[in-house]
Amino acid sequence: MSDMVETALGVFERQLGRPLEAALEVCARCGVCAEACHYFQAEPTVENTPVARGEALRRVYRAEHDFLGRIAPWWVGAERLDEASLTRLAETAFSRCTLCRRCTFNCPLGVDTPLMMRAVRAMATAAGVAPEILVMLADAAIEKGRSPEIFRDLFIEQMTDLEPELRQVTGNPQARLSVERPGARVLYVALAGVHTILPPAIIFTAAGEDWTLSLFEAANYGVFLADPGRAKQIAARIVDEAKGLGVEEVVLAECGHAYAALRWEAPTWFGGSFPFRVVSLVEKIDTYLTQGRLNLDPRAVRERVTYHDSCNMARSGGVIEEPRRVLRAIAPDFVEMTPNRHEALCCGGGGGLVALPEYEDLRLRAGKPKADQVRRTGARTVVAACENCRLQLGDLNRHYGLEVEISAVADLVVRAMRPADLNEEAVSVRAEAIAA
Amino acid sequence: MSDKSRTVLDLKGLLCPMPVVKLALAMKTIPVGAIIEATASDPGVVADIPAWARSSGNELVTLDKVADKEFRFVVKRLK
Ligand code: SF4
Ligand code: SF4
Repeated sequence: MSDMVETALGVFERQLGRPLEAALEVCARCGVCAEACHYFQAEPTVENTPVARGEALRRVYRAEHDFLGRIAPWWVGAERLDEASLTRLAETAFSRCTLCRRCTFNCPLGVDTPLMMRAVRAMATAAGVAPEILVMLADAAIEKGRSPEIFRDLFIEQMTDLEPELRQVTGNPQARLSVERPGARVLYVALAGVHTILPPAIIFTAAGEDWTLSLFEAANYGVFLADPGRAKQIAARIVDEAKGLGVEEVVLAECGHAYAALRWEAPTWFGGSFPFRVVSLVEKIDTYLTQGRLNLDPRAVRERVTYHDSCNMARSGGVIEEPRRVLRAIAPDFVEMTPNRHEALCCGGGGGLVALPEYEDLRLRAGKPKADQVRRTGARTVVAACENCRLQLGDLNRHYGLEVEISAVADLVVRAMRPADLNEEAVSVRAEAIAA
Repeated sequence: MSDKSRTVLDLKGLLCPMPVVKLALAMKTIPVGAIIEATASDPGVVADIPAWARSSGNELVTLDKVADKEFRFVVKRLK
């Protein structure tokens, strides 16, 4: 057995516990999950069914844990793991499953196929056959946490440069874009991009929030690698920063996997709960609206708008009605895609797929059901509270000629702000800021 | 410097994480010792590129803001 295979099997064994064993053992092979998967909907082949994906790992499980699997592997469909089968498994887990969990929700037995795919991702990462780019992005994020001094001053300088724009747009000469300001009530964690900094900064300022910006980004590529070691180091940057500043709340940018990871998974990595709340920016905006802290024009967004539920925000994160309440408050012609909410179709960009150019063709093909769904709504603007989804929707828009605008919730909220919240004379500046 | 040792990359308009992804892919196509000169529009690169260079074992030679929403950086392939 090669070192690579031995490492992968070691990781597999360490992950075996009730949830994974249940997923490996209880499948009734009824095939109900097939239609739930957007890969199968796009291209109905056996290899595109969730059950076939799970079966690939079950063969390895039987070879290791089933007596018959050892003496008569052909009888029970067992297969010893070797380098070729590990590479094939890894390819499937990273390119043919976005970990969207729609199959699990639709399986009568609740078989957790994405959990099996995460197990394979973990095996592949440990064995060195995970996609290089995901490893590189995770390691660069960890490096940021280790050596913030290599970018801190330049980053703060860029944020200070944005302040005149923020002041002009909000009409508030006191508006600030501080980074890691001690004493702030809220720590906002953006993504690496001003498009996820300026609109929320405008909203926080208008709502009179006492906030500061994180030095780090919310994205966590360790989660896509199913590598708890890397994922924890990436999350620790934010956890330590929030603890150090003593904030009450960490507000995360509109990013599905970042939210699902820091809100629901990370507390277990750190052995309990955090001394601060973790909420998504969308939840925060909804709260501001409920509290009457934003003055929005209810007819501001005149075109037809629809909302795409990110799998991580909706199915995994439970953030479902908040974005809808916000959008209904500003877009009279808001329409739903069908199906939606817990049953929403994956756009095909999750699981780290949008960052992997080698799978672009497959990703665009698997996104066809989502593209069709968007087209059926007749919407001109598609809103998603997840950066990965927005990148994929943008690609689907170009590839399938949907002729829609892709927007974050915060972008539309800024568009709907009334002069009391916003300096009317700065509309062009504001539009430019959002587009940038 | 010959064309082979200097590659120019336009990363303007790309959002996270694509500038780093494109840079890393381009890096694989150049020989050790060669450099890439890139331009990007998103301020996020001021944090991402130095961290990527350090974690991937390459050298960030320079990183400057050259205009409003325009950053230029030079990286050298070391391995
Ligand atoms: S729906 Fe569930 S039980 Fe049926 S084949 Fe799919 S995973 Fe197995
Ligand atoms: S998690 Fe999503 S992409 Fe993966 S097999 Fe299930 S339905 Fe398909």
